[in-house]
Amino acid sequence: MKRFTMEEVGWTPRIPPVQAETASPAQLAALEACPPAQRRSTYFLTLAQDPASLGERGALFNSVMYAPRGLPRADREFSTAVVSMANGCVYCTSVHARRFTELSKQREAMQRVLDEGHAVETDPRRRAIADFSEKLTLTPGAVSAADLAPLRAVGMDDLEVLDLIHSIAMFANANRLMQSLGETEG
Amino acid sequence: MNPDDLVEDILGIAPGSPLAELRRRRPEALRHAEGAYRELLTPDDAGNVSHTERAALALRVALREGDAALAARFRALLEKAGAEESIMLAEDLSDGVMEGRLPALLRYADMVAAKPATVTQETIDALSAMGLTPRDIVAVTQLVSFVPYQVRLIAGLRAMQGEAAA
Repeated sequence: MKRFTMEEVGWTPRIPPVQAETASPAQLAALEACPPAQRRSTYFLTLAQDPASLGERGALFNSVMYAPRGLPRADREFSTAVVSMANGCVYCTSVHARRFTELSKQREAMQRVLDEGHAVETDPRRRAIADFSEKLTLTPGAVSAADLAPLRAVGMDDLEVLDLIHSIAMFANANRLMQSLGETEG
Repeated sequence: MNPDDLVEDILGIAPGSPLAELRRRRPEALRHAEGAYRELLTPDDAGNVSHTERAALALRVALREGDAALAARFRALLEKAGAEESIMLAEDLSDGVMEGRLPALLRYADMVAAKPATVTQETIDALSAMGLTPRDIVAVTQLVSFVPYQVRLIAGLRAMQGEAAA
């Protein structure tokens, strides 16, 4: 198993990122569509090389992770941390494990999942989220209505389930971008 | 059926149905997924990666991910463009090492889709050596990383459909 952590992890792009000072109007506009806290990160400045796709994809990411109501933000962060572990993305795992911990104050629970995998998770809601997140990530073709039953059993309504599906799908995307376009340094 | 929305068309989600209404409670996710699809598959300014090459890469990833219905949509784009050779190359999953530009791009798509951790600086430098600019490389990587988003969205919504039908 990879060494997953919620400590800060470095990431170096394999192509030159856009420089904020010399960015084109289209690149700046695309960055504006991205989450405010991250739009000056090296990763987003790298994606800004293709502003047309970043503008739409950044806005999609923003909506999936931050749209109000529905699935609580901590659950979205927990799910995306589990997806990132399943995809072997140490960088994304660290970011979203940290955000989950900030929102939930459940540092020990998160650390246990990072160290031992989500099979050790005892909280029923997080366990249901983790199981579904991993299955939709690794074997989407095998997912059926039966896989939603544990989510319903912990009280999730339709909008929460849709938000969870969006979060998992978004990180099928994010984990691939992050691992392909740059080098993670532990 | 809703021909304006790829995902709803594939799944046969009717306008006004409970699942269609549910999806409209997240209008930005709908709009920007559609926008990302447009900008990645058929951008006005495609740089050095043609619409045909883009559709071929999307077809390959949908096949690798095992989503036949989604793959059929990308195949239809190529058929419409008369790109028979591109279809043949994209649908060749034999892992043979063929020469040429599209086979090299398809191998990159395979790496990003299935084993992104195996991409290295050399992988990216090889794309540059083929004449791809940083913008082209980001566009191709975004494209082959976006199809896995669609695959999981479709699979998740299909499960919700199954739940409603039970």
